[in-house]
Amino acid sequence: MRIKTTVAIATMAMLALSACGGDDGDDEPTSGGATESAEIRVWINGPDTPQAARDWLKETFEEQHDGSTLVIEEQQWDGLVERLTTALSSESETPDVVEVGNTQAPTFTAAGAFADLTDRLDELGGEDLLPGFVEGATVDGQVYAVPYYAGSKYVFYRKDLFEDAGLSVPTTMDEFVETAIALKEANPEPASFSGFWLPGQDWRNGVSFIWDAGGDLAVEQDGAWQGALSTPESIEGLETVQRLFQEASGAAKDGNEADPQTPFCNNEVGMMSAPGWVRGLIEDPETGCPDMMENVGVFALPGSDGEPAPVLLGGSDIAVSAKSEHPEHAMDVVELMLSDEYQTIFAENGLTPAKMSLSPLLGDDEFAQATIDAASNAKLTPAAPGWAMVEGSRVLEDLFVDIAKGGDVAELAAAADERLDEELAR
Amino acid sequence: MTSPRAPRAPRSWLPLGLLLPTVVALTVALGYPLTRQVGLSFQEFGLAQQFGRPPEWVGLENYRDLVTDRYLWLVIGRSLAFCLVNAAATMAIGTAVALLMRLMSTPVRLLVQSGLLLAWAMPVLASLTVWQWLFDSQYGVVNWLLVRFGADYEGHAWLLEPMSFFFVATVVVVWMSVPFVAFTVYAALTQVSADLVEAAQLDGAGAWQRFRVVYLPAARPVLLVVALLQVIWDLRVFTQIYVLQQAGGVTRDTNLLGTYIYRLGIGGGDFGAAAAVAIFMLALTVVLTAPYVRMMLSAEDES
Repeated sequence: MRIKTTVAIATMAMLALSACGGDDGDDEPTSGGATESAEIRVWINGPDTPQAARDWLKETFEEQHDGSTLVIEEQQWDGLVERLTTALSSESETPDVVEVGNTQAPTFTAAGAFADLTDRLDELGGEDLLPGFVEGATVDGQVYAVPYYAGSKYVFYRKDLFEDAGLSVPTTMDEFVETAIALKEANPEPASFSGFWLPGQDWRNGVSFIWDAGGDLAVEQDGAWQGALSTPESIEGLETVQRLFQEASGAAKDGNEADPQTPFCNNEVGMMSAPGWVRGLIEDPETGCPDMMENVGVFALPGSDGEPAPVLLGGSDIAVSAKSEHPEHAMDVVELMLSDEYQTIFAENGLTPAKMSLSPLLGDDEFAQATIDAASNAKLTPAAPGWAMVEGSRVLEDLFVDIAKGGDVAELAAAADERLDEELAR
Repeated sequence: MTSPRAPRAPRSWLPLGLLLPTVVALTVALGYPLTRQVGLSFQEFGLAQQFGRPPEWVGLENYRDLVTDRYLWLVIGRSLAFCLVNAAATMAIGTAVALLMRLMSTPVRLLVQSGLLLAWAMPVLASLTVWQWLFDSQYGVVNWLLVRFGADYEGHAWLLEPMSFFFVATVVVVWMSVPFVAFTVYAALTQVSADLVEAAQLDGAGAWQRFRVVYLPAARPVLLVVALLQVIWDLRVFTQIYVLQQAGGVTRDTNLLGTYIYRLGIGGGDFGAAAAVAIFMLALTVVLTAPYVRMMLSAEDES
């Protein structure tokens, strides 16, 4: 039976290959390798960077560097930590310039993934750069990343639905929660309607309620970082979150916060907390519903004391990979990305520019006001060196989904603290 | 084994020379990662080491931490259950489709085969996106249909509960693997001589008996091989689970070995522990497949 023998041999070979192949299932798009010596690859995340800015960057760079090309590769925010971990450590695969979330930057900075930018800091903006961002990317006095843009989330709401339900814009946290629940009650159809749209995985919005109640995600004690989700204050905040999940939100209890414009344009949302650039997605006829804009209002999430609530300081850093083969070119790209021309495009699209001197460009309409209010009390995630690992292991996503499912908050928070301690101890 | 031995040919290096490329390829492609993985599992290797800091040797510490962690055993149990259920379902459905194909008229069979090929050829991520849309809690077709038929599935989150999550994962994995099984088994069935089947029929064997006594023994070697591959593939399933986890569900309650290793290593920056789990997985694969391999080898000896 020759066939049997052949089959058996083929099987053994496949068995060996299959068993040891490991996890190659993650089909990441990779470049075809460095062909041209001066092809600069830039990783930009999500749709945040306006198309006009991308075009300007590519054109200007290629004009200034004859024979070089610049390739922008858009990455998803979801799973970025994992992708950066693998890509940045490989000389052949690494992009030259990367955008990284401001809360993720310290981990990669501490690990030595980025090139030192200290010498070029003055040309990049120096003292004019948003301060919190530069500090987060500084190790032993050397700066490894610079701010790209900032932008904290604020609340988009439907003026017409508020009017129909006889509601007014809330000015305190309590009023906000009541308004969200009242909106949901006033719109029983469809079942997926949200007074306040809060998908289960969305801890980046949920953390505002923890901070407003006086709690925190993690605190530093005697030089060691520990989870702080099970303190009485944090639990109070998480209970507010659970109430919103159960009484005000019609979003998927295990969904993530990507594409908020979809349910918003589908008449399923009364209020949602989203980054400023989502306005552009609503206004765009392809992704959104420009007709609805006349009914859209915005305000900064109010805190218990009537001032803006603490929200997550959103934004990105930009850095040069330590393994880049063309660090000089890469730094030129960073310089262009921080130039006044490029940053002006950001300001026009509702993103807070990386340079303080450019913030007046945001304008003075309702949207600019909400942007400035939200930023006035914005906070960063804990400055622990291992924070990106917390994000990579999805501890917080799991916690919030479990809370959305209706689990016991105190128990879940205690369990999440244990896992935070583990990740932060690394 | 009674045939007289052929006279021994003069010693030649040709067979060895022919084997050499394979041996070299296997050594490089398997040996290096395997050695590296074993080494890693004895090291404390984190993100800083990934970027060039020298790692520290910690002996068996990674293994000790894992063995005493109940979660590892939970994940192993979960992976085993998932693997066996999926492999069994795939084999059953695939074989059934193969048997069915024998009875189809040519045009119908071609249609079915094209459908199977399309499912098989579809890139994993592309088909996963479609599956994700189908099961979307808000806008998914599955919920819409169920509501149409009067079931209370409005806004039902399929991925929220672990059992329901694994149900969806099973549907996706089985859907993707059935074509391979169906084609392979169908090919094996076409080798069964029509005379034999006819003889059995004349002897009064019913459909089930014909399957059990005629088809099954003839297709046994192929079925064994395919089942073995299914077990291996379903044990190391990764992409489907990973993508579904991003879409919903609780990551910790739905991790299988593949995603656990990934979360531990690439997500959580603990490559040492991740390598140690990977060694567990390798051992598990060997244990799980050893009986099959032995069966196949003994079948070969008999012939």
